[in-house]
Parts: sequence; C-alpha cells; structure tokens
Amino acid sequence: MDNDIILRVENLKKHFQPHLTFSQSITGAKKRKVVKAVDGVTFDIRKGEIFGLIGESGSGKTTTGKLVMKLIDPTEGTMTFQGEDVTHLEKEALKAYRRKVQMIFQDPYASMNPRFKIRDVLEEPLVIHKIHGDRNEREKALIKALTEVKMNPPEEFLGRWPHMLSGGQRQRIATARTLLLNPAMLVADEPVSMIDLSTRAEILHMMKDVQRDLGLTYLYITHDLSTARYFTDRIAVMYLGRIVEMGPADMIIDDPKHPYTKALIDAVPEPMSGKVGVIKELPISGEIPSPANIPSGCRFHTRCPYAVPACSELPEPELEDCGGGHLHACRRWKEI
Amino acid sequence: MSVNPATTRLGDFWTEFRRSPSGVVGLVLLVLFAAVAVLGPALSPYPEAGTSWRSIEYWQDEPANAPPAWTNLFAREKGAVSARLAAADSAAEEGEGYRVERASFAYDFSYDRPPLDLILHFRVDEPAPVSVAIERPDGRRVELVNSTVEPVSGEARISLDKEAGAAVLDFVRGIEPPEALERLDGSSLEPTAILFAEAEPGLTTAPRALKGKYRITLETIVVDGAEPASEPVPPRLAVVGRVSGLLGTDAQKRDLFSGAVAGVRYALLIGFLTALVSVAVGVVYGALSAYAGGLVDAAMQRFFEIMSSMPLLPFMIVLSAIFKPSIVTMIVLMVLFFWTGSVKTVRSMALQIKEETYIEAAKALGAGGPRILFRHIVPILVPYSFASMALAVPGAIVYEATVSLLGLGDASIVTWGQILHDALSGGAVLNGVWWWVVPPGLLIALMGMTFAFLGFAMDKILHPKLRTR
Repeated sequence: MDNDIILRVENLKKHFQPHLTFSQSITGAKKRKVVKAVDGVTFDIRKGEIFGLIGESGSGKTTTGKLVMKLIDPTEGTMTFQGEDVTHLEKEALKAYRRKVQMIFQDPYASMNPRFKIRDVLEEPLVIHKIHGDRNEREKALIKALTEVKMNPPEEFLGRWPHMLSGGQRQRIATARTLLLNPAMLVADEPVSMIDLSTRAEILHMMKDVQRDLGLTYLYITHDLSTARYFTDRIAVMYLGRIVEMGPADMIIDDPKHPYTKALIDAVPEPMSGKVGVIKELPISGEIPSPANIPSGCRFHTRCPYAVPACSELPEPELEDCGGGHLHACRRWKEI
Repeated sequence: MSVNPATTRLGDFWTEFRRSPSGVVGLVLLVLFAAVAVLGPALSPYPEAGTSWRSIEYWQDEPANAPPAWTNLFAREKGAVSARLAAADSAAEEGEGYRVERASFAYDFSYDRPPLDLILHFRVDEPAPVSVAIERPDGRRVELVNSTVEPVSGEARISLDKEAGAAVLDFVRGIEPPEALERLDGSSLEPTAILFAEAEPGLTTAPRALKGKYRITLETIVVDGAEPASEPVPPRLAVVGRVSGLLGTDAQKRDLFSGAVAGVRYALLIGFLTALVSVAVGVVYGALSAYAGGLVDAAMQRFFEIMSSMPLLPFMIVLSAIFKPSIVTMIVLMVLFFWTGSVKTVRSMALQIKEETYIEAAKALGAGGPRILFRHIVPILVPYSFASMALAVPGAIVYEATVSLLGLGDASIVTWGQILHDALSGGAVLNGVWWWVVPPGLLIALMGMTFAFLGFAMDKILHPKLRTR
C-alpha cells in the first residue's frame, strides 16, 4: 500500500507572525498573536485518486494547498512526495518539484497575465523549464494540450487574449497550461467556484477525463460539498486549521460523524419543489473563530450544538478510526 | 471579434489624448522640434554651426552684433543685409605663358546704410597678382586692389575694408574740396561707406547712399603649367551687412539662427537620453525593491532617500569644474540623480501587481525572480514610464542650460544654454543685443513646455488605469 502513496503530509503547520505596530515596536510589547492558519494536518494522497479538502473560508484549506504547492514554507511538519522529503527545497529542487506538482487557481480571470496572449500563457511553462526548444514541436505540444482540455479548434485560441474568453474557457486554458509540464499531481483550488453554474459540470467532467487519461492525482480544494461528492474519491474536512473528519467521499457525505461535517451537509441547498421556500435552519451558529485566537480543547466547541463542558476542558481530540478508513475527531460521536 | 487589445488600447489612448488641448499643442510642438532636429543643417545658412560654433574662421564673413534682417522693416534707415554672392560671369583670357582669370559679381544695393565690408574668396595655388575693381551705378570705376596675394591652403581672401583704403582715399581726392581733405584722417576712412555713396562734396562727412547696381570685378593672373593643387572653387563675394539672418549675429559674428537650429538637436538628445535612461533605471529599481521586499526593500528605499535628497546642481557645478565638461558626463550625472523621480510611484504600483494571482501562478509554474520582474511586472509599468519620461525631459534640458549658463558646458557643441552664457559674458544685455538673449531663452522655455504638456496629458489619461487592468 505504501508505494501507492504519492504525497504524505504529517503534522503540517503554518503560523503567520503579524507585523508589529509602531507603538508595539517602541514599547517592546510581545503581545503578538500568532495566526495559526494551518495547525497540524496529516493526510496521505494515493496515486491516481482525487482527494478533496473541504471547509469554510478561514478553515486553512487554501493555505494547505499553497503549502503543498510550496508557494509558502511550512512552520513545522514534513511533506513527502513520491518517497522524497520535500518539506524544504532549494532552488533547483523546487523547480524540479514544480514540474511534477501543478496548480489550478480559483479565479480564472486573475490567474493569467492580461497582457499575454493565450499562446504566451501556454508557452510560459515550456520556456521556464526549457522544454521543446523547437518551434514546431512547441506548437504541437500546445495544440495537444488544448485538445486535451477540449478547446476546439485549438489553433483558433492561440492568438486570442484572455479577456476574450469566458471563465470556463479560461479555466480550461489554465488546466492546459499545467498539463504541458506533464505533472504527476494537480492542486485545484476551488477551480469551479467562480464559474457559471451551467459550465461547472462541464469543467469538472473535463478535469476528470484528463485525470483518467493521464493518470493524474488531484488535491481538490473546495467549500462545495455537492461537487466534492461528484468529483472526489476521498474527502478531508478542515475546521480552523485542522482536519476534523476524513474518509471515502460516500461515507463522509452519507454518514458524517463529526457535528461540523453534519452541519456542512445540512447547509447544502436543494433546489427541489416544496423545499425552495424554506430557508434551512442551521444547527450551528456564528462565525468561524479567529485563527489567532483558537478556542481551548476541541476547537469546534464554541459552535457545536452538542458541546459539553468536557469538550473545552479536555485536550484536543485526535483523529480516530471508526472503520473503513473513516477517521473523525469527535469525542462524543457515539452519543450524537 | 479578434481585435488586438494593444491596438484598441492605443486607439483609446489617442481618442482621449485628442481631447486634451494642451496635449495636442505639445504634440504639434514636438513634431516641429523633431522636424527641425532632423532637417537641421538644411534649414540654416551655416550647416556646420553645430560643430564649428567656436571656429573663428567659420564665422569671419559675418558682421558682429548685427540685428536680424527683418528689423529693416521697422527701421527708418534700412541697413544692407548680409549676403553671399556667386560670380555673375567669369572668363579666362590666354596670354603668353600666363592666363588671366576674370570673375565679376553683380550687387544690387538698395539700402540706406552701406555694408560694413565686401570680402572676396577665390582659389589660387601660388602667390599671384590680383586686381579688384568696382563699377558704380553712376558709371565711375574705381580700381580697389592691385597687389599680390598669398593663398592660405589654396584659397585667398581679400577684405576690401582692409585692402582698399588707399584706393578709396584717391577716389575721395577727386571729389572732396581740398579743405575737407585736410581735415580727413585717412585711417578712419570707411571704404564701403565711400564706395556706396553719391560722388559729391561731403562724401566723407555726410555720405548719401547711391542706390543701384554695382559690379565688382576680380582679375587673377595664373602662370601656365602650374598644376591646380586643389579642386577648382568658384570665387564668391561675401557682403558683410548691417543686419544679418533671421536672428542676427552675436559679438563673435556667429549667426544666431544657425546656433538655435543646431541647439534643437542637442536639447532633444540631452532631454531624451537623460529621461529614457533615468526612468528605465527608476522603474527597474522600484519594481525590484517592491518585488524583493523585506530587508532588501528597506535598504533600497533608504539608498533611494539619500539619493533623492541630494541636490543635483551643486554636484554638477563642482564636477563640471573638476572634469573636462562633456555632454556625456553631464548626461551620466543627470541620470545618477534623475532616476529617483519615478521610484516611489513605481514601487507602490509594483507592490500591488506583486499580489496578483497571475504572479503567484507564474511562481507555481516555476518562474524565477527575473522572469516575474521583467516579463510580468515591468511591462505593466511601461505606460506610466512614458508619462514620467515626458515629465523628466524639461528638467534635463533646463539643468544642462543652467550648467552651461555658468560657463561649464561642453565646449565642443552648441546648446541654448551656452548661447545664453556667451550673451551674458559678451555684455548682450548691457548693449541691448536682445536678439542674442531672447530667442535661446524662449526656446528653452518652449521645449520645456512641449514636454510638460505632453507629460501632463499622458499622465491624466494613464493615471486612472494604473491599476494594472
């Protein structure tokens, strides 16, 4: 089984140090509150699977994605990719890592330089990594990548500018750009959240086809449970920088153990007759607490409808297995 | 549908630019200046004014401190205008063992005040006997010169003012009564004043202009067999007038219009080069500072603050006094101080661009610092740079003029500032030689205004679009 694991993340933490204000730096006050965006996450991603990372805004899922992408350096913890430690990488090793791990960004309108034509956008990874020096070869690679993401006819798009394309088309181009490097893994940070509902399914479909064709592994980051179920093999639910539940997608959605997961699932609107008029009453209330001021004990207890004094007094619960690879971090899961 | 946004952006820019009247004025002036700079020598009577500004020989046939020719329009007594005449006809007469070469010039004198001098230029290879005569409209003929000339590098120059004194005195003797002749001081006699006056008593004291056609004949005797050492040059006659050219002449007999035209090139060169290099340096510096961030940014900003608080003028004056002042060192020095102008704005813009997702995307693709800086950040700053370049040009021109005015300019070229400096040291203001002071001053102001107008217009259009998209 161990050979199957492409990425192993252990106890990964990212703490941000806020800047001192002017008065603080003069008085030498040390009341800096560390923002614990990611506070010890552990997960494995198997080769060829689609791993979903789910959570509200502020749960640290995007930061986790950036850590995996190595856009930021972790404060603590280790990352192993294809059996090699990639926690801290030097310039050349980092460049090599980026050939294998690529990213699709949330906002397709912002992830391309508006002054680049589609051709320049697509050629950029090839130029950076000095692949296909020959012009014809490069042209062929671009056409192939565009065909892969179902941009037809591919030649027509090369001369266009990003602003001439729709969000869906841009996201296809963004995918094609990553595919040109032949990566082993793709980090997709909410790739469809900014796209029209009507094209979402199409894009996800395309991504799934690409994954099947090329044997890719995805780390799919989203706040949208409905696409997660459709798209992913396994899901990890994040809350305030920690994973609170993890397991096969069907198990998590159909039989959630953690009250937070339950609340998320309940919050999904259903566009069915008889139910549209009812705005659902959520079992949890309030906003996600500040990651600079994490509640003691179980970090969810401030919003948990089932919380008892023990939840805040006892130390933080660890993930435990309840069978079938389904892990959760709730002390009272049997009672609720 | 597939319209290149670069062209539409340019089109939009032009539509907006046209709406700014000062911008259009600036553009028209710039085109005019550029045309003058390109056509330069073709426009001015002295094409080599730019390189020969300090050559005494080049300007020897012009009057000193002569007002512009058009001042005749407002003058009660019209002064003769400087002119250069080619021979009206020339002939050669073969003798035994020698040849007489004859050239005659026709000069139509229709002014109230005679020219200051008539100067003949002609080719001779060896010392040769020469005679010059003038035929006046009243039919009198005066033999002016009959001597042997020594050629200087194949060319002889005869100034009638200097050479014809004795002949003119003879001419006067036949006309003036003896008592007038007694009072006459031969050395103070102005030959041209006599030659272009009515032949009547009082000729030397109160000459009346004799208008009409004059003919000046030059005869040279060339010994046969002497091989011509130089190319045959047609003889020519320079009339040194009382007024000269479009903008007059200065105390060193230089044609100021030619100087002003030659100055356009240097003003544009100094302005453009300084602005281009300093803005390019400033943009890269600001973008690099923003992109690097942290300690590097802090260090670069402190250095920038030190540089921008240093006064340029004292530095330029001291350095020009120490080193041999040249246009190159002057431009380098100005660049060293001017680059700070755009840094702060560029840095703040780059800080904003740096946070764009496409920069992060490029990083995720593996792009290194230089690529992100020069392919992604700097191109977006280019429109802003154009505006700040236009605004930096007048500063450079004025600084050069200031340093030149203090007499520390590049001696091998001519700039408006240097003309002004010469005017001040030549006492132009005290002597009322306004044509020496006003045109270069106005041109400096006009050139500055051109770029200020352009810069303001561009700045107004480009500023709301600073936000990258």
